[in-house]
Formats: sequence, C-alpha cells, structure tokens
Amino acid sequence: MNKLAYRLRTYRSVVGMNIKEMLAYNLWFWSQLGAHLFLTIVYVSFWKALYSERETIAGLTMQQTLTYIILARMIAPLVQWGYTQEFGYWIREGTISSELLRPVDFQERIFVGHLTRTFIALAQQLLVTGSFAVLVFDIRLPTDPLIWLSFLISLLLGCSILFCFDWIFGCVAFYSTEVWGLQVVRGSILMLFSGVLLPLTMLPSSLQTVAQWMPFAQSVSIPVSLLSGITPLDQLGSIWLQQLAWLAAMLMLSRLMFQFSVRKITVQGG
Amino acid sequence: MRRYSKLYWYFVIQRFKILMEYRLNFFIGSISTILFQAASIVALWAVLRQVPSIQGWTLEQILLIYGLLTLSKGINHIFADNLWVIGRDYIRPGQFDRFLVRPINPLFHLLADRICHDAIGDFIVGFSLVGYAMVKLQLPITLASIGFIILMVISGGIIFIALNLITAATAFWIMDSIPVTNLVFSTNEFAQYPLTFYHRSVGILLTWLLPYGFASYYPASYLLGHSIGWMAWLAPLVALVCITIAYRFWVFGLKHYGSTGS
Repeated sequence: MNKLAYRLRTYRSVVGMNIKEMLAYNLWFWSQLGAHLFLTIVYVSFWKALYSERETIAGLTMQQTLTYIILARMIAPLVQWGYTQEFGYWIREGTISSELLRPVDFQERIFVGHLTRTFIALAQQLLVTGSFAVLVFDIRLPTDPLIWLSFLISLLLGCSILFCFDWIFGCVAFYSTEVWGLQVVRGSILMLFSGVLLPLTMLPSSLQTVAQWMPFAQSVSIPVSLLSGITPLDQLGSIWLQQLAWLAAMLMLSRLMFQFSVRKITVQGG
Repeated sequence: MRRYSKLYWYFVIQRFKILMEYRLNFFIGSISTILFQAASIVALWAVLRQVPSIQGWTLEQILLIYGLLTLSKGINHIFADNLWVIGRDYIRPGQFDRFLVRPINPLFHLLADRICHDAIGDFIVGFSLVGYAMVKLQLPITLASIGFIILMVISGGIIFIALNLITAATAFWIMDSIPVTNLVFSTNEFAQYPLTFYHRSVGILLTWLLPYGFASYYPASYLLGHSIGWMAWLAPLVALVCITIAYRFWVFGLKHYGSTGS
C-alpha cells in the first residue's frame, strides 16, 4: 500500500513537471506575442497621433506608413541579432575546429541553416502577428501574388546580403574573441538604418545617404517598401539589380575575409 | 538596517571585483544602453523635425517624458535586475535554496547578489534628456523642481521594482517567470509618450493597473504646468501601495516554494 502511494506521488510529480514545462514553453510564446502586440499598439497610436493634424509626412499617407511600420516590426526580429554571437561561441568553445572539418562548405552550410530558420520565423510572424495586424489594426496587405513574390525574393536577397555582412563581422571574433559588444553596436545601428523604426525617406538626407551605404536597409526597408506599396512594382528591375550587386560584393568580401582570418585561429581549450 | 546596508556594500564591492576582471565588457555594457536608446531618439527627432508638434506636444516635451521614464527604469535596472532571472538562474538550478539557509532576508540576498552596471547608460541618457528638455523649455531649475523630480523618479523606480517583484514571484509556481515579467514590463513602453496619444483604456490601464504613467507622464505634465491637480503628487503613495502588495505576494509565494531538488 505504501509502495503504491509512493509511486502515485512520484507520477504526480512527473505529470506536474511536464505540465509546468509545457506551460513555461507556451507562456514564452504567448508572452512574446502579447508584448509584440502591446508594442504595435504603441507605434500605431504614435503614428496616428502624428497624422492627426496632417495628410502626409515626407510624401507618405497614414495608411502607407502604418502598413510599413507594422511589417517592418515583424521583419525586425528576424534580422535584429544575426549570428555574430554564435560565431564567437564556436571560437571560444573551440567547436569551430569540428565545424571546419566537416566535408561540406562551412559558409554554405551555415547559410542554408540560417535562411531556413529565418523563413520559418517569417511564416510564424506573418501567420500570427500578420493576422493581428489585419484584424486589429485594419492594415490592408496586398492581394496581388506578384507583389508577395517580389517581396519574398527581395527579402531573400536582403537576408543573404546581411548574412555576408555578419560573416565578415563575425570574423572579427577570430581576433578579439569578444563579440557581445560588437553585437550591441550592430543591433543599434541596424535599428535606425535598416528602416525598422521609421520609413527611411523620413530621415534627413545626410542620414539617408549613410543608410544607403550600409547593408541593413537591403533586408528591411527595401522588401517592406515593396510589400506596403511605397515602392511601385515597376522599379523592381533596378532594385533587384542593386541587391544582386550588393550580394556579389559582400559575398566575395566575406569569402576573402574568412580565408584570411581563419589562419589566425586560436582554439582556446577546444 | 545598519547591518543590511553594510552587507549591501560588501555585495557591491564583490560584484565590482568580478566586473573589473573584464574591463572591456564592463565598459561596453555601460555604453550599450546609450547606443540603443540613441537609435530611438534619433528616429523620434527625425520625425518631429518635419512636424512642429503632435497633438500639441513638442519634441522637447516628449523627451522630458521619455527621460523621466528612462531614469525610473534605470533605478529598477541597477538595483533589481536580478528579479528577471530568479527562475532561470536561481530556482531551476537549485541556487535559490542557499538563500533560505542564510540568516538574511532571501529577497535582500537576491537583489544584492547582482547589481547591474548596465544601468549607468540609462542614467546618462535619462539625465541628459531631462536636463536638455528643462533648459530648452525654459522650465525653472530650482531646488523645488529638482526635489520634485528626484521624488518622482524614486517613486517611479519603486513602481517598476514592485511590478517586476510581483511577476518574479510567479516563479515559485511556474519556475521560469521571465515570460510573465516580460509581458507586464513591456507595457511600460506606452509610458514613453503622452498618455493622451492612446485610447482612453490605455490611459486607465497605465494609471490604475500597471501604474507606469506615474513614472513619466504625470510628473512631466506637472513640470510643464498642465493642470492635473492632485495626480501630480500621487506617485509616492502609488509606489508605497504597489511595493507593499508586491512584497506580500512575494512572501506568499515563498511559502509555497518547493525546491526543484537539483
């Protein structure tokens, strides 16, 4: 009898732990969704207040700006932190040595993994936050599949450009092993110059020029402008050409930089 | 009381010894918050450069609200940042149990265990914004106004700590409280702009339920000479009520704490 009670008690704990774990996981999901929703209400209210006394700001109507902001905020978490941290981790922990020994191209493999994660996260964002945006904030997303397709291609190109940039950036870890600070600097600059906080056309022209010469706008501002209808589709050719040029240059630089700095490797206790 | 302040001092010294082992990290940590806030402030400036005001609020007035909130947040950040990670870093790995066998208050021990130097950036940004706004708006900088600001910032800081304490105490039941804390804490972003920008329900929420408004909007309105009557002086009382409720809830949670046994 005593044994039975003991076992029952044990199982009760097991069930309890599992529920707690599930709950904790679910809580993460819902809390992040909730926080995102709160933030979106803050931005929407801010921009609505801004537009309350005027029709357009920097040539954009309220509907255009709101659609842009909500979409840009949805893309932001996908590009905010990059993987410089992981890079530093591999080097610090010494796992980089086994990463390099695998019989596939290192950069290619990481790239594929990175893109997969990004686009799965995008699908989640679009499904959950996207439906909120449409239902709660009355945002009109385009129905033309062509716009969606061009958005996706432009985002793919943009994320690849950013990937190469982060790769170059991550190579600094071979020299410094300290990447957290770099990460913060990158995140802050990205916030402003990628167009997450506001459409880039609203920046003063000097800052717009700075934004143009940084890769961050390629991954947020350019695709989101397409999707929110700020950039008309007839400019698609020149946009893709520009993105391809960026990509080619960044790709070449990133390969060179990696080949150069991997020689510097000091595996610390790996 | 004297014993606790002495103890706190020892904890602070220990913490700084650890931080000074990694000087570069210490420095970067301190300025990282500045950079991060700078991005938002530049964006705000870029927009408001094109419009004279939003519903009657000028850039400087909004910066005053923003600055006050940042200072209150800084107080919470420097003294109570450990509340965020109570579940992940203490309860789950069984570390919390060591607080329970020591002859000091477990909450004190938790808070003193890690003061957070990143908050230095918050204070630099907050002070600069409030100072800039006060000068630009030609608000009187007198002993009275400085005293008022200090009182309100401390009250705001306590409100932040109280709300984080309540949400952190849920860790006694659900282990990891970061999602809950994160959800409640994120509503403070509403308080960085005038509450009049939002639907009325948001104003009520941020005044009576999650009273972050007392850390920014109400004191700023008083400084700007808006007629808000007794609401201007309510913050210390609200802070007192919040922290009392929060501490009671914490003690209640502590009684229900069963170790993870790891």
